[in-house]
Amino acid sequence: MAQRISKSQHAKMKNPIIQFFKFIYLNIRILKIVAGGHGGTRN
Amino acid sequence: MSKIVILGAGIAGHTAAAHLRRKLGKEHEVLVVSPNKNYQWIPSNIWVGIGRMKSKQILFPLEPLYKKKNIGYKQAKVISFHPEGNDTSGKPFVNVEYVHGEKKGNQEKVTYDYLINATGPKLAFELTEGLLPATNKVYSVCTYDHAEHASEAFLKLVQQLKATDKKAKILIGTGHAKATCQGAAFEYILNIEKELVKYGIRNRVEITWISNEYELGDFGMDGMLLDYNGFNMKSKDMVEMIFEDRGIKWILGAGVQRIEDGIAYYENLEGEYKTETFDFAMLIPAFSGHGFKAYNKKEEDITDKLFKGFMIVDADYTAKPYEEWTVQDWPETYQNPSYKNIFAPGIAFAPPHSISKPRKSKNGTEIFPSPPRTGMPSGITAKLVADNIIDSIKKGQPSLSHKGSLGNMGAACIASAGYGITQGSGVSITTFPIVPDYEKYKNTGGRDIKKTFGDIGLAGHWVKLALHYAFIYKAKMKPFWWLIPE
Repeated sequence: MAQRISKSQHAKMKNPIIQFFKFIYLNIRILKIVAGGHGGTRN
Repeated sequence: MSKIVILGAGIAGHTAAAHLRRKLGKEHEVLVVSPNKNYQWIPSNIWVGIGRMKSKQILFPLEPLYKKKNIGYKQAKVISFHPEGNDTSGKPFVNVEYVHGEKKGNQEKVTYDYLINATGPKLAFELTEGLLPATNKVYSVCTYDHAEHASEAFLKLVQQLKATDKKAKILIGTGHAKATCQGAAFEYILNIEKELVKYGIRNRVEITWISNEYELGDFGMDGMLLDYNGFNMKSKDMVEMIFEDRGIKWILGAGVQRIEDGIAYYENLEGEYKTETFDFAMLIPAFSGHGFKAYNKKEEDITDKLFKGFMIVDADYTAKPYEEWTVQDWPETYQNPSYKNIFAPGIAFAPPHSISKPRKSKNGTEIFPSPPRTGMPSGITAKLVADNIIDSIKKGQPSLSHKGSLGNMGAACIASAGYGITQGSGVSITTFPIVPDYEKYKNTGGRDIKKTFGDIGLAGHWVKLALHYAFIYKAKMKPFWWLIPE
């Protein structure tokens, strides 16, 4: 059986203060990855 | 003066039109031909499908915006491609047929200097018998009207369950052995589960995921190794953890072949023919090309030069085994090799092969996901095509300096896992590159582990909601819209 999400993890996932900071962190991280550029793969 | 014709006004077509218009002078003509009268922000369809958003919140009419921005618009569908012109037209053209208004049914030649084919996929419901949305208790969320039907049926089922002590079964996933877009179905199943909890009837509903994936978390991208809470975790394990946590069952390696009233018939990789019953289902259909025809100057059929199901671009289409596939097979500029003024960004280009490992059942039936090219890659590839055309026009010579292979491009999949400002949830996954580069990232499953991560929580829902408003703002071309990346 696969691992379930623990109660403490659930609490963190719902905590609005933790999630507010995570929201900012996620936006920055996503922006860095997506707007970080793209290009070709062939020389 | 140049004339750029864009076929389609979805994420790719609309993005290309917006950038072309912004960067090209008024002497150049930008014309959009689309059978759709509205722009729709497709990623929010899942919220329409559970009744938490109205379709008017995710769409707006194209004509007034295009008029205001000096972008030509014809509500018409393309019939045939004539990239060499013909006896009566020295310029290349497409034949289009109006689908609305006084000109409905009339056909017209639309000439061009550059053509962007952003017609996306045909939703090939007919490839699975009985899958037509809103029949046989099966629905779709691929368009806003499909999502509205899904919402009505789901809420009706909820009312029935609340009024009685009956039990019900819900089936969500892919409706064809080679369907793609597992991400949308994944979002929908998590939202449905969350809604049932809110309505207090979760314990009376059995929810099952059915998919052509070999493993959970494949998403048509061969799965991924990602950073989750500081640990390296396979997407398979992450999705298993979420499903297990929410009591969702799963059926994998399933090629759905036929739907009857409340029954899905499928074949699995073991070659077994099985059935699954349901009271409500949402199954993603196969995506196919539109079956366009192309003709040369002498009106001879040259469809094979332009199409291979979807449009042929600068990919390596040589047939070779999975072990020999490389990221270099994937296109960089989305330019048709035979006709250099034709491009196909977004879903409209023919992929060289799948991303997931191809698998066959013991009966020889191919059961594996087709490669996803929706959302973010559609926008990025459309912008780079537009930028290359802009450069070519401004320099007066062909320019292909903007490149973007899916093997060197990141993507973010912010999957809603429940709606609500305080009670919502989201599964945020980023991946780089989209097509795994097993040479460059040998030890991390073809992906850059620093740029491939997963997260679960309320923040993900807020991100998805923020993206909803940001991208509709961008699509409406409001002030400084171009600052919002694709």
